[in-house]
Amino acid sequence: MSALVRMRLTGFLRTGRAVAPLLAGLITLGTLYGGGRAQPAEAYGVSAVVLFPVLAWQTKILLDVEPDVQRRLAQVTVGVARERLAGLLAAGVAALVTVAVALLFPWLVGGVSGPVDPGDRSIPVGLALGVWAHLLVVPAAVALGALASRASVGGAGFGVAVLALGGVGAVVLGLSGSVAPWLAPPIMAAARTTGGDAAALTLLGLSVWALAWSAAVVGGYLWRRRAQG
Amino acid sequence: MRLENVWLRYHRRGPWVLRGIDVRIGPGEVAIVLGRNGVGKSTLLQVAAGVLRPGQGRVSDRPERVGWVPERFPADQPFTVTRYLTGMARVAGLGRAAADEAVASWTDRLGLSAFRSVRLPELSKGTAQKVGLAQAMLRPPGLLVLDEPWEGLDAATRELVPELIAEVLAADGSVLVSDHRGETVRLPAARRWLVADGSLSEETSSTDETIAVVEVAVPAARVAGTVARLRAEGHQVLRVRSDASTDAVAEPAAGEAR
Repeated sequence: MSALVRMRLTGFLRTGRAVAPLLAGLITLGTLYGGGRAQPAEAYGVSAVVLFPVLAWQTKILLDVEPDVQRRLAQVTVGVARERLAGLLAAGVAALVTVAVALLFPWLVGGVSGPVDPGDRSIPVGLALGVWAHLLVVPAAVALGALASRASVGGAGFGVAVLALGGVGAVVLGLSGSVAPWLAPPIMAAARTTGGDAAALTLLGLSVWALAWSAAVVGGYLWRRRAQG
Repeated sequence: MRLENVWLRYHRRGPWVLRGIDVRIGPGEVAIVLGRNGVGKSTLLQVAAGVLRPGQGRVSDRPERVGWVPERFPADQPFTVTRYLTGMARVAGLGRAAADEAVASWTDRLGLSAFRSVRLPELSKGTAQKVGLAQAMLRPPGLLVLDEPWEGLDAATRELVPELIAEVLAADGSVLVSDHRGETVRLPAARRWLVADGSLSEETSSTDETIAVVEVAVPAARVAGTVARLRAEGHQVLRVRSDASTDAVAEPAAGEAR
């Protein structure tokens, strides 16, 4: 299966379509960090929020690059389950690379500062919270991107609608006082946590929430793939 | 392998394309799937290959390794021929050395050596079809499913297809093949499955005679007379082509055959 993951990543990179989401991510991060310096935990929390739709879009592009017939050839060769899993893994690897760029980016442009007041978090703690917030976003974004892929929804219009709805919904439903926060991945809650009180139990709860949400959406993706044939 | 009461439709409320197909193919057997355009031949082949999942019924005892040659090879991919085939060989479970060896062997055999460094989108339709054939054979399949495999192939490769089929059969594999060009006459021992209205029936030969194909070269001026004489003797004239290396320039009318 690792051969199929490699083949899909290579296809994604060689078409040049990987550039668009990466560029969008860099522009967004540039805008985010261009406004001044912030402490790592706070900055990374917001960075993770803005990366969510970018990573979902990147996943959709990665899965859509492969022609339908080639996807079926892969299915015949490795079986249904491994073909699906290889796509999700390839998207996950690509997302982790983008996350690495996003974590490095503010240090390159001088967008982060060390602790200023006595109560501020140290840089290593802020960095650890930032990594957590970004890793929280990866499975949720991959799941949404997969659900929006052509193999799942068929037409391109539906895919864009799923992406837009998921991206906007994650922000709107994640606002403080939301009536149905559980319908969205906890990316907004994670941003609030990195900027405020980050108790271990809260981090664990949000992690479980993110994984459960991702699992439910991946379930929807697999169900759609089954229905699409 | 057996298709047991297989029903399939593409949409929930769409018409059934396959209706209660129940058929078995054993090791060492080849079956030709026949039928008009749009009756579900490709659908049946894709169900057999494991590309499509039946809405009802099931496919049992499908061999572990399946080679599928789709009707149209997906050439819109950013790989060279070698890189694509090596990737597919690795996906099929071959190690690096075995993959390289299989790719070298099949590119040579299918006349793809000159195209090894060419990107897939730059290939002609026929050459791309050869790549499709190669990817299915990289690892000897227990079931080979060929959807119009002769489409776009040059004469030399068309001759090679029955050889590949024979090799799969000799290794106790099974082969399913669809064809609308009349090329399957090259497979005289094949079973003939006729698909119509979503159902499948097996054509049985009225005699036990097996058929062989003999290619005859005659001077162009004597073509009409030779064709008439052969038909008068009860032979089936499949086609007339201008010379040994080019495609058919004229085909006998359907009513004139045999």
